[in-house]
Amino acid sequence: MTVPRPQSPRSEVDNLFERSILNLGIPPCPAVLERFIAEMNKDDPDFNRMATIIITDVGLSAGLIKTANSPFFGLRQRVRSVTEALLILGLQASSHAVAGIILHNSFPNVPNLERFWDASARIARLSGWLAQRLDIHGLRAEDAYTFGLFRDCGIPVLLGRFHNYETVLDIANRDAERNFIEVEELELPTNHAMVGCILAQSWWLPKEICLAIRNHHDLEGLGSTNSQLPMLSRQLIATSQLAEHLMQHLLGLSLTQEWPKLGSACLKLLGLEEGQLEALYSDAQSIVPNEE
Amino acid sequence: MNSIDTLTGFLDRFGCLQIAETLATDSMTHGKAFAAIWVDIDRFKHVNESFGHLGGDEVIKILAARFRNRISGRAELSRIGGDEFVFLIPRCDISQAQMLAGELASTVEEPIAIGSLTLHPTASIGIAIHNPGEDSLAMLERADRAMFAAKTRGGSCIVCSGDEPIPGRIGVILAREEISIEGTLHTALATGGLCLHYQPIINANGHIEAVEALMRCMVNGENIPPGKFIPVAEKTGLVTRLGEWSLLEGAMHARRLQDAGYHTKVAINVSRAQLISPKFTQALHAALICSNAKPELVELELTESLFMDISETVQKNLKNAIASGVVLAIDDFGTGYSCLANLKDIPAGKLKLDRAFVTVLPEDSRALSVVKAMTQLGHELGMTVVAEGCERQEEIDALFDVGVDAIQGFFYARPMPEETLIPWLQKRNTI
Repeated sequence: MTVPRPQSPRSEVDNLFERSILNLGIPPCPAVLERFIAEMNKDDPDFNRMATIIITDVGLSAGLIKTANSPFFGLRQRVRSVTEALLILGLQASSHAVAGIILHNSFPNVPNLERFWDASARIARLSGWLAQRLDIHGLRAEDAYTFGLFRDCGIPVLLGRFHNYETVLDIANRDAERNFIEVEELELPTNHAMVGCILAQSWWLPKEICLAIRNHHDLEGLGSTNSQLPMLSRQLIATSQLAEHLMQHLLGLSLTQEWPKLGSACLKLLGLEEGQLEALYSDAQSIVPNEE
Repeated sequence: MNSIDTLTGFLDRFGCLQIAETLATDSMTHGKAFAAIWVDIDRFKHVNESFGHLGGDEVIKILAARFRNRISGRAELSRIGGDEFVFLIPRCDISQAQMLAGELASTVEEPIAIGSLTLHPTASIGIAIHNPGEDSLAMLERADRAMFAAKTRGGSCIVCSGDEPIPGRIGVILAREEISIEGTLHTALATGGLCLHYQPIINANGHIEAVEALMRCMVNGENIPPGKFIPVAEKTGLVTRLGEWSLLEGAMHARRLQDAGYHTKVAINVSRAQLISPKFTQALHAALICSNAKPELVELELTESLFMDISETVQKNLKNAIASGVVLAIDDFGTGYSCLANLKDIPAGKLKLDRAFVTVLPEDSRALSVVKAMTQLGHELGMTVVAEGCERQEEIDALFDVGVDAIQGFFYARPMPEETLIPWLQKRNTI
């Protein structure tokens, strides 16, 4: 896996950054992303210059093109270049996609993560598809996709730091009664939602996405009439939980207990009835194999 | 006939009130409540300032068309002021009103293209449900207050009447400048406009005892002084996100210094809002884990306003922080809310004397006696004592003479960015 490297002359700080990345596998704010965002925030951003920044990293370029070609964007023609991908995705979605790809590339020291990333990518794509399919006003497919990618980014960090975290995850996934975070905190001083949120904040992801990461196992925040979570954060959480449920249903897996715990609040938020799920199972079936 | 707003074709303020009165009477007859949803477009003054009032009117027309497409037939639509809309929904409970408010928020949030620029509008939304027998104007005022509470939370959120903070505690009216600073802070948080600068703290041997991380905010080339943006962040609730960001950034810096061979502590300011949160411990550990910094190289500076009220949650958070291995420092000691009882209750390892004692040294002999007494007390309690705000050699001599352990101030160095700090440290040859 590649670690993004800045192309400008190296400073002492760049060297320190890189050492931190190599030691930890966590970029403080990846240099490529920083340069990309700096260009994006100019009054008149130059797509060609942005493309030049991206193509300095082969993995990143391939990842961006793959994202633009995801089924939920529903393009008739395949995107073939980084510039095309940028134009199709738009500025904001591109920067989130770039951040997501860097995230994936940033944990070279944590073993056995492929399955985790596969699941994250699949949930992200299904979330994007659901946002389009359900036509929830204001919930953009690209935001649902970005959230799906980042939702569990705390997990690889904790896997890299706590040798028993895989067991903790297993117990939390199987617990049908207690809140997922509660189970994690019996063993750890923090939880993957908080770690993910802190990282997302440091990468300047939008407030609603950071709050959704922080609260994605929180039934009260999701369903309570007194919830302080922005509606968009709640919609993002509900969409990704439904996406995960669809994925587990279609692939015949039941790895988590989140749907029994959060499902009815999610359906209510998305304006769905239990009976409408059958149609979604059937429609999603045609989407999931496309992704394999 | 109801009065109509000419720009949007919606009811105007008077028309809105008339309909509210009718609905209040109806609800008495049918026994079913109605809802008022008050929508205020965030930072709309920027639109008027940037595009003129004609441009602002265009945006209002676009938003009105969206509202009409979205909820016409389900609600009575009114525009009661420049950027304020009220929607009255017959036979509606709180959960239906919240769903509808969510739809309205999403409707507003679709980007609007004006010329070559794209606006990303958001709305602050307040909801009130009519109580049996309630005057319709009183109900509309409740919706307005709820909307205002949403605004003070940073906008882009929905508040139901009854959930808003007590007016006067947090819900004070933000001045025009404050709203503009708030908008700048949102931009900074979305585009990476924050950074930390570091000011060295030097001990009597000339060694670097620590560096204090101080937040800087720069948006579109404009530098907003911390004295302006921190109070706005505190009022709007953004301070927690700023604080968590600086916790991770400061800890990452400690780690990078550690990697470069400098065992220099990084002191990070922690706000009252962070410490009263039951999630503080989790956030602290998340920052330590993500940075992989040695906890003993991270220092948390506790603001003196924390001492207004040390609740059980705060005590638990401080105890957990100590258990994690980080060092606690009491900031600005000797003024404001800080008092001797705090020294007894808070297990801090460092005492930072307020700059008010320093600037009058060495001439003010009474101030010097107070500094001496506080230093001795700090030492008795096993604390390192630091004086802040030193700008003159005479101050420094007097402070070291009375036993102060370390000094921070412009005399040694101004706060500087990370890329300047490392060469500065190299120059002082303190490895």
